[in-house]
Amino acid sequence: MDRHRVLRWTGALGVAAVAAVALGSGLSAPVAAQATYEIEPRAPEYLYERTCGYCHGHNVAPIIRGRKLPAAVTSALVRSGNGAMPAFKPTEITDQELEALAQWLATAEADPEEHGR
Amino acid sequence: MSSGFSRREVMAIGGAIAGTAAMTPLARARMLPAEMDRDVFAGVVRELRAIVGDEWVFADEASTISYRKSGIPDLRGEHVPSGAVAPASVEQVQAILAVANRYKLPLWPISTGKNMGYGMATPASSGQMILDLKRMNRILDFDAELGTILVEPGVTYQQIHDYIEEHDLPYWLDVPTVGPIVSMMGNTLERGVGYTPYGDHFFMQCGMEVVLADGTILKTGMGSIENGNTWQAFKWGYGPYLDGIFTQSNFGIVTKLGMWLMPRPPVYKPFMVRSHNVEDVAAITDTIRPFRMNNLIPNGVLIMGALYQMSMFNRRSDLWDGEGVIPLDVIQRHARANDIGMWNTFYALYGTDEMIAAMEPILTNAFEATGADVLTEAEMGGNPYFEHNKTLMRGGMTLEEKGLVRWWGKSGGAVAFAPVAPAKGGETGGQTALATEIMNKWGFDYAPAYAVGGRELHHIIFLMFDKGNDEHSRKAELCMEEMITRFGERGWAAYRSSVSTMDLVAQQYGDANREVNARIKQALDPNHIIAPGKQGIA
Repeated sequence: MDRHRVLRWTGALGVAAVAAVALGSGLSAPVAAQATYEIEPRAPEYLYERTCGYCHGHNVAPIIRGRKLPAAVTSALVRSGNGAMPAFKPTEITDQELEALAQWLATAEADPEEHGR
Repeated sequence: MSSGFSRREVMAIGGAIAGTAAMTPLARARMLPAEMDRDVFAGVVRELRAIVGDEWVFADEASTISYRKSGIPDLRGEHVPSGAVAPASVEQVQAILAVANRYKLPLWPISTGKNMGYGMATPASSGQMILDLKRMNRILDFDAELGTILVEPGVTYQQIHDYIEEHDLPYWLDVPTVGPIVSMMGNTLERGVGYTPYGDHFFMQCGMEVVLADGTILKTGMGSIENGNTWQAFKWGYGPYLDGIFTQSNFGIVTKLGMWLMPRPPVYKPFMVRSHNVEDVAAITDTIRPFRMNNLIPNGVLIMGALYQMSMFNRRSDLWDGEGVIPLDVIQRHARANDIGMWNTFYALYGTDEMIAAMEPILTNAFEATGADVLTEAEMGGNPYFEHNKTLMRGGMTLEEKGLVRWWGKSGGAVAFAPVAPAKGGETGGQTALATEIMNKWGFDYAPAYAVGGRELHHIIFLMFDKGNDEHSRKAELCMEEMITRFGERGWAAYRSSVSTMDLVAQQYGDANREVNARIKQALDPNHIIAPGKQGIA
């Protein structure tokens, strides 16, 4: 067993090791009127891995990488949620992010590790 | 055509989208807010645009398409929003409420709008404008000593998962079955559950900020103490405990939520109890109960029906192409072929090797006494059904359960019914028999799971149907109404419901309950602008 993990779990390691990242309580700073992804758009690969790939690569939905899916079709499907697929709103994936994602998917290579359905 | 999609597929997709796009709030009066004419609505849209910017108000056929999507039956268009507005700050929420009060514009708040089985983002009645809070997506505080977090509505479980990994924080999440794309706040406010020891999400919630209809900002619990630092540490505050009235509620708009996170254990060991007969569920429930009450099984236990499990990774036609519902012997045959039983119970142990070694034989002996097999990674590792629950019981990211939505085919369709009962074997036997009878009568397969808390169980029934077939959708609607009604007659009411049955379920909780809710609503939101119809509250 990982002794370090046990010590950390029981608190015996002390909190200094983990406290460094605490943001602090009682936050009062004003929050920007913009989503974080509007300031810094997320890359297509990042979005694919964290959204599309959970179904399209994991036994739930058809494989979509390596199929040269036209970008316009991808964009329409993401917004409408065709059939059993959920719809994704501009507040979840911005228009700018979706355009880049659809372009990337149009040329993305198939991933042999994925399992479609 | 060089595309990997055929011309027919692309045309079908285009046609489907064009068909949906023909519905526009300005073209069909029934999709406008009740008692609001087109000119007034257009003026409201202009005012909302001045608050959040042109690009974050959606009120035409193309831009509202995502908000209309749901998997539940809606043959009469009773859950079609008039549009959506997406603020990015509490101040914008307050300004939107001021406009809504002025024009009596009903607002349906969502966080990510992924309320699977219950209507996704769609409102309880047509014409409401979606108040989409997804753009408020900041993790505002993470106290690494206390394991507490303060989040905005748009923060998904995936986002927190990534944050924990990035900072190597010694904590685990507890997720619902569709964690990556859903909001921690949304699921908690709906009183959703997960499958680690922190599976009762509302129990693990601590402190919230609520914007009331008049713009007042309320911080519950310890949140309003000047120079306070205990908001996410102590739930109860002083005086009446208010957090509960803002869950499954339309009394205010929650804009910040505090949660407790589970310390990551050094060792985690998942188990699967394989029971071979439908009637075994009663003995399994009676075996689980004492271990949940004394916490020797610490996590939210799932008793999964074989068909529920197989619906994630298969289409119905993979199992059965005959007439009527899938016969029991066919389900049993496919279950055996997948190394699962008719019921498969998932629990886990968390701690050190020594702790787990002490507990494992006690639990194994108890479950084996019911005639079941108790299996671990050694026997089941790599089996997709085992791996799915192994992921859930450690708060991992998966969307595999989305697969059940397309059980009948590409069009999808699933609506959930979740009656609660005491965690007693006789209750599971009775509920399973009643649900099977009603669903089979309407031509639907009974695909259940039971989630066992301390002393209660949630019976989770996904009614899977073909939303592309109006007759099938109609049957699904009638089947659901019969289940709610007849379960209610036996004293079994749902803990949550789809937007299409909120009033029906609310009736079962009695007149006094409804009257009290109505009085609170009248006091806090006299213009009834926040989510009218939510949980049957006008």
